[in-house]
Amino acid sequence: MRPGPLRSGLLPSGLLRDLALALAALAVFLAVPVVFPQPALRDFLIYFFAYGLLAMSLNLLVGLTGLVSFGHAAYFASGAYVFGLLMQSGRVSIPVATLAAVGGTAILALVIGAICVRLKEIYFSFITLAFQMFIHSIIVTWVGLTGGDQGLRGGIPRPPILGLDLNDARTLYGTCVVVFVVCIVAMRQVSQSPFGYTLRMIRDNPARANFLGVNVVLMKLGIFVFAGAMASIGGVLLALFVSGAYPEFAFWTTSGEAIFMIMLGGMKLFLGPLVGTLLLQTLNHFVTIYTEYHGLVLGSVILLIVLGLRRGLADYLYDWLQDRRARRAPSAPVPEPVVKSRPV
Amino acid sequence: MGTKRTGARAVSRRQVLGGLAAGAAITGFPHIAGAQAKAIRVGMPTILSGRVAILGTSGRAAVQLAFRQINEAGGIGGRTLELVDRDSKGRPDEAAKVTRDLINNDGCEIIIDGEASSGAFAVHEVIRDLPVLCLHTCSETSSLSADPKLHVKTAFRCARQGIHDAVAGGTYAARIAKEKGLKRWMTCSPDYAYGRDNTAEFLEFAKIFEPSVEVVDQVWPKLFAPDYTESITKILQVKPQAIYSALWGGDLVAFIEQSNLYRLFANIGFFSGGLGDPPVLTAIKQLPPGLNTAYRYNRNYPAKPANAAFADGFAGIAKHEPTNWAWQCYTACLFIAEALKRTNGSTEGARLAAELKGMKLAAPFAVDDAITMRDTDHTIIGYPVAWGRTVPKAPYVEDFSGVDWAKIVELETQWKKGKGYA
Amino acid sequence: MNLEALAACLSSASCAVTQVSTALIVGMLLFLVTSGLSLIFGVLGIVNFAHGAFYMLGAYLAFTAYALSGSFLLAMAAGALGVAVFGVLFERLIMSRVYGRDILMQLLVCYAMILILDDGVKLLYGGEYRMMGMPDAFALPPVEIAGGFVPGYYLFMVGVALAAGLALWLGINRTRLGKIIRALAINPQMVGALGINTTLLYAGVFGLGSLLAGMAGALAAPIRTLTPGMGVSILIESFIVTVIGGMGSIAGAFIAALLIGFTRAFGAIGFPLFVDGMMFAIMALVLIVKPSGLLGREAA
Repeated sequence: MRPGPLRSGLLPSGLLRDLALALAALAVFLAVPVVFPQPALRDFLIYFFAYGLLAMSLNLLVGLTGLVSFGHAAYFASGAYVFGLLMQSGRVSIPVATLAAVGGTAILALVIGAICVRLKEIYFSFITLAFQMFIHSIIVTWVGLTGGDQGLRGGIPRPPILGLDLNDARTLYGTCVVVFVVCIVAMRQVSQSPFGYTLRMIRDNPARANFLGVNVVLMKLGIFVFAGAMASIGGVLLALFVSGAYPEFAFWTTSGEAIFMIMLGGMKLFLGPLVGTLLLQTLNHFVTIYTEYHGLVLGSVILLIVLGLRRGLADYLYDWLQDRRARRAPSAPVPEPVVKSRPV
Repeated sequence: MGTKRTGARAVSRRQVLGGLAAGAAITGFPHIAGAQAKAIRVGMPTILSGRVAILGTSGRAAVQLAFRQINEAGGIGGRTLELVDRDSKGRPDEAAKVTRDLINNDGCEIIIDGEASSGAFAVHEVIRDLPVLCLHTCSETSSLSADPKLHVKTAFRCARQGIHDAVAGGTYAARIAKEKGLKRWMTCSPDYAYGRDNTAEFLEFAKIFEPSVEVVDQVWPKLFAPDYTESITKILQVKPQAIYSALWGGDLVAFIEQSNLYRLFANIGFFSGGLGDPPVLTAIKQLPPGLNTAYRYNRNYPAKPANAAFADGFAGIAKHEPTNWAWQCYTACLFIAEALKRTNGSTEGARLAAELKGMKLAAPFAVDDAITMRDTDHTIIGYPVAWGRTVPKAPYVEDFSGVDWAKIVELETQWKKGKGYA
Repeated sequence: MNLEALAACLSSASCAVTQVSTALIVGMLLFLVTSGLSLIFGVLGIVNFAHGAFYMLGAYLAFTAYALSGSFLLAMAAGALGVAVFGVLFERLIMSRVYGRDILMQLLVCYAMILILDDGVKLLYGGEYRMMGMPDAFALPPVEIAGGFVPGYYLFMVGVALAAGLALWLGINRTRLGKIIRALAINPQMVGALGINTTLLYAGVFGLGSLLAGMAGALAAPIRTLTPGMGVSILIESFIVTVIGGMGSIAGAFIAALLIGFTRAFGAIGFPLFVDGMMFAIMALVLIVKPSGLLGREAA
């Protein structure tokens, strides 16, 4: 399989360097509560991890494969609900419930994806949205199982795993850090694998991929299932932290927010969506403190970024760096960043 | 408003500076030790934006009124009460985060939970983790306080409870049904857990008190549906003698106005659980006379000078009549102030909870002498659960007839046994 | 399921009339909103996610004009024209800057607009429920047709929506300007090369689409509750209609809006618990069998 047009990222493709960076990130995140012991910062970061996984996994579809899913939150919610329900049953441990949540969500994504990935462009977006609305209505209607609009009530128990007591806020935070970093590394590996490059080719030129004998539908389905599974881990983290699962997790606004995180951060860089997540969460956190008219502020900031920078924040920085490098060494050929506009 | 803004800003500026200096977005500020601080900060996570923004804005105005009055009267042993409100946008996970931030970061020592349904349960779980005193002021879902599995030691409900309204509504409806011979009933309630539970409980008690009540059909429009035409014409086809509806807020306003176009209420008795809220009544341009509604709030009931004074004071801040959420929030503030007085200003969750258990409060809204915070299940009784009839002009609802609380409690106990709660 | 009730209703004139009128009432307002959405998409290739917020704006403008002047006609005009002007400004100042870019950029801009408009309305009007009030001219008992009852205001509303739809269809299919607009949808460069000001046309079409949303909002103001965020549910419904009818097709929007109207009106009688499921099933079926919708052009 021939790799598609190579896009240079901040991270080189070497596994070793990825791992080194991951370890460094792990150390930094673990050190944060030691340096700044305020619980609010830990809380903020746990939300960042949960929504970051949602946005990062969605970008595997949007940025990597060119599949604009409007219904990604369905898998986020399915992770939270499967995990929460299993834990409330009191029969399984946290790791088992997590694995079941991921596995169950993967099956759900497989069934829905098998129908959706055959559709193109905006029609793919709409049908994923339709399935998400369907799943949301199941959660709201099936009151006996899910608690309906009131959500899973009564808290999610956190029995100790191998002597780790997750009821302790610091241990919970540490666990979330490890899970988050492992998931990001996993997504990075998929994106840098031959499979990942095949997906880029499908995004940039599906006809060519088809001629080369790539089973486009199967490849798309593969990444759809993987992205769904990764989103479910985000859901598990959130459920574990807020000690509940709510139908709002599966509402279209949650999917919309994930898309905005990607757009605000940028989708050219692997970690771009995390920049967007950080931006949106930080804005949300501070603006809500100052004013109840946060919509007015957030809307204006989005307009400024879109109309001023004309791209996501990380993409802007990336292009700026590329420009500078190009000006310094005019002889070196610079790969033109492909700005793709999707016809609707 | 003023105190709250400056207070919040002071901390936040430190946050921003700290964040800039250290490269971390949130560093917050550690608690100022409770006894030395001048003000006792009370956090209020609530919904201030979107379709149900009035829930949060009216609840907040009531808290502002109460705190102003308490502070002007000398506060709690010289310390003032200070409100820190924050919008959760109606999202439960956001409600959980905001509540944790209010406690951990903004130094709030007491929480007034202004969240509806799922948000209230999310806050409830936070309080299990961080046991400060919390008063739920908006959730009417019975299980929040009735289900012993959900019990949290420092969480209380200062709001009406579904089962109490169901008993009162059933009693009232049965009486009218007997008087007027209303046998064929329909329901028209929003299709979500609250709408369905509320409707089922109302019918259960109506049938107990008047066995001839028969439900011939039920329609379930979606929550927040803008248009009710198909439900209304369905009612026209079925031709019931009476309708029960658990619709509320803006949905109910639209339903009544659209029903007016069909002259639906000319021959059909209407029983509503949500019409008694003044903002609903004032929004309806053509309020038909003689509709039956549960009490949500009214300045003339209970007929006490303190109640009218509350309505005037509230209108001075919010520029409209109080809502159901407003009197509940106001009462919660009175409970908090009284508990703080009894602990000499200590804000420790367990101590305040011990004082609140069984506390009797001579609130302006008490039907008899006092509203009681029942110690067994941390919920209030003795508040108004009357039903009245609409008139087209202010005060919009008249002829309130109450139900004996002893009877409500008796039937509530049976219901709890049936549910396995007691 | 209660198919007997459905059959009984269909065989009774009064029930059939009432339910058919219900279908029209539900469907025609939806059509008015959707036709604007579809027009903008068909010509500009833009998915205006802020369309629901425009509908809300129309309702609030009508509410204000009616409160100030007491004239129903003035209220309608304020709603429709006010939103048209707003639409043109939005297209010129903001939307035109993201043409040719990722559809997600357009989505982001519209989302920002929704946030700003929702909060703007809350800032000006507060969070309370508002109702414009029914003008006296319509405060009459419902009209009886073959034993079924239809309120006068709804007759008016359906009439206005039908007239607007017809005018739009005639305008696009039977006039020279319509021909240019159709050409613009297919080959904008060619239209520009012929010396026609495409920028002006784009703004005009966007304004017209917004006008339809504003008109729908104004028509809804006497019978539906005005709150910040009221545009969301109509946006979702009109997307379902657009997807079923075909993106960019006015006639498709008409048929799909009627389909939804009839599903809801007769579903309430025959299968009340399955109405939403039915709407979802229709949409999913259309997307799977013919993704471009009932009357949409096949994706190139």
